[in-house]
Amino acid sequence: MKRIWPVVLALLLAGCGVEPSGPVVAGDAPTGLAPGVTLYFLDAQRHLRPQLRETGRLGTIPEAVSLLLTGPGPDAELHTEIAAVSVTRIQLSTAPELIRLRLPLTVRDVTPSGIDQIVCTALGVHVQSGGSRTTRAQVVFVQSTPESEKRRTCPLFSRAG
Amino acid sequence: MRLSRPSRWRPRGLRARLLVAFVLVTVLGAAVAAWSSAGSASTALVNSTQQRVSAALAGQINASAPQLTYPPDQDALDRLRTAVGPNALVTYRNLRSEGGADLATDALRAAVRTQQRLVAERITVDGTPWLVLGTPVMITVPDGARTPSGIEVYSAHDLTGIEQQIDGLTTTAGSTAGVALPLAVVLALLAARSVLRPVRELRDTARRLTEGDLDARSPPQGADELAQLTASINEMAESVQTSMTAMHRMQSDARRFAADVSHELRTPLSTLTAVMEVLATAAGGMEPDVRESAQLAITETHRLVRLVEDLMEVSRFDAGTAQLRIEEVDVVTAVRDCLRARGWTEQVELTAEQDIVLGLDRRRLDVIVANLVGNALRHGAPPVRVRVSADAAQVRIEVTDRGPGLSEEALPQVFERFYKADAARTRTPGSGLGLAIALENARLHGGSLTAENAEGGARFVLRLPRAGEGR
Repeated sequence: MKRIWPVVLALLLAGCGVEPSGPVVAGDAPTGLAPGVTLYFLDAQRHLRPQLRETGRLGTIPEAVSLLLTGPGPDAELHTEIAAVSVTRIQLSTAPELIRLRLPLTVRDVTPSGIDQIVCTALGVHVQSGGSRTTRAQVVFVQSTPESEKRRTCPLFSRAG
Repeated sequence: MRLSRPSRWRPRGLRARLLVAFVLVTVLGAAVAAWSSAGSASTALVNSTQQRVSAALAGQINASAPQLTYPPDQDALDRLRTAVGPNALVTYRNLRSEGGADLATDALRAAVRTQQRLVAERITVDGTPWLVLGTPVMITVPDGARTPSGIEVYSAHDLTGIEQQIDGLTTTAGSTAGVALPLAVVLALLAARSVLRPVRELRDTARRLTEGDLDARSPPQGADELAQLTASINEMAESVQTSMTAMHRMQSDARRFAADVSHELRTPLSTLTAVMEVLATAAGGMEPDVRESAQLAITETHRLVRLVEDLMEVSRFDAGTAQLRIEEVDVVTAVRDCLRARGWTEQVELTAEQDIVLGLDRRRLDVIVANLVGNALRHGAPPVRVRVSADAAQVRIEVTDRGPGLSEEALPQVFERFYKADAARTRTPGSGLGLAIALENARLHGGSLTAENAEGGARFVLRLPRAGEGR
């Protein structure tokens, strides 16, 4: 009988308060840092090539796509297959596992490789910001076209998808 | 449990013990249930809080990191720290941005560096519970590979609110156990009553049986162990009652037989006595050897008459029909008359205080004295003394002799019927009932008769209470 009381007391006390604990893993580390933004252009063989723009930070997907629309700059080895436009405002909306980009372009302004450039740039920034690598991108053009409905992946990262 | 040492704290009654056991069991059960529910609730609460805070921290850093310049300057670190919230520390190589308390332990820092993941630790500082989170901020390349950026974020969150919630849970659990307490007491009392009622009835039955009421029974109720016990006790009482009845019948049969036999013997004995009277008067003209036979026949007949009279007297005592005829008697005179009537005045010394007057049955006093003195004359040796004395409470009549006294075996049995101290001397003139009758007569007066050895002989002491006490 005498041995029961300390046990009972210990049990009661154990139910009180927040128990301290040692360090335990509570999740994945956050990410999103980058010295610049990676844009994708095409080389002479029309292969996709990354180009790092040293903006000092990663920035957002619309910023990256807007930057992509301005072209590769003076780098002679790379070119873009997106027609130059004066308006570079990009609207971004997200759904689960999907990034929807509303571009100020028609489908005639881009080649399929040009669409890949946009998709790779957007998904690259998405992954660098800590997003899922299985996310797909939907490129919506200003005129209605079946191309606007496609859910696309970047051919460079497709091995991960 | 040491049963050998009765403790002041251990309740003795069955009711108290049941009560204590019930309350203990209830409180223990309630406490254990309350503890386990409070414990699991508090664990769930702490875990969910930890997950929520960790997710929030990762989300905040994720949201603000793309806007930070890299490699960061002090301004970038300050902005990140502000985004994370109070009590945060952000480091990058030599740069450091600190706000509020830095509670990160070395173990946490080491875990952050080795795991390269978000690490949580709960600590208590000055009685306040804290959740401390630490995480590196990673650099991810577009194809998904991650490398540490060198920026580490530590953030502490006060868990006092959570602790208050847990304390509230515990208090609620405790008070719930408290509510169960009176209920347990009521249940214990009910259970105790249902157990104790049959026990009390059994006790009453046993008490009545002890007091001689052999008809006492308790009706068994239900089919539990107590009902079985009750049935067993009833059977036992039944069996005892049967044997007692049989024994009583046998005893009364034996007594009635002795009474009947002695009564039946009286009539032929009267005739025989009359014939012996005639024979005695005619003995003078007989031949000497015929006369001797006649004398023997006369003596034995007298013995037989005495035996039958004694038997009838004993039967009257056994049947409870012996009656006292009380009158005022001068005890000394009565004793002297008794001795004189039997011609023992010469052989017996009588010492007495004068004028002891007592209310008693003169005939029965005569029987007692005659039996005691006769016994002393037959078995003891002269001088036989009779001493009558009195005090405020009782009258004593002592009969002593100078004989061999009573043997150790004889002493406790001397008042038994037909007891003969010496097996060789069976043909003594007494009936063997004299001392037994003397004892019954003494008891009838409310007095006592004892035998002992004193002054080199046997001593019989009759004590009679004064003023009719004890009758």
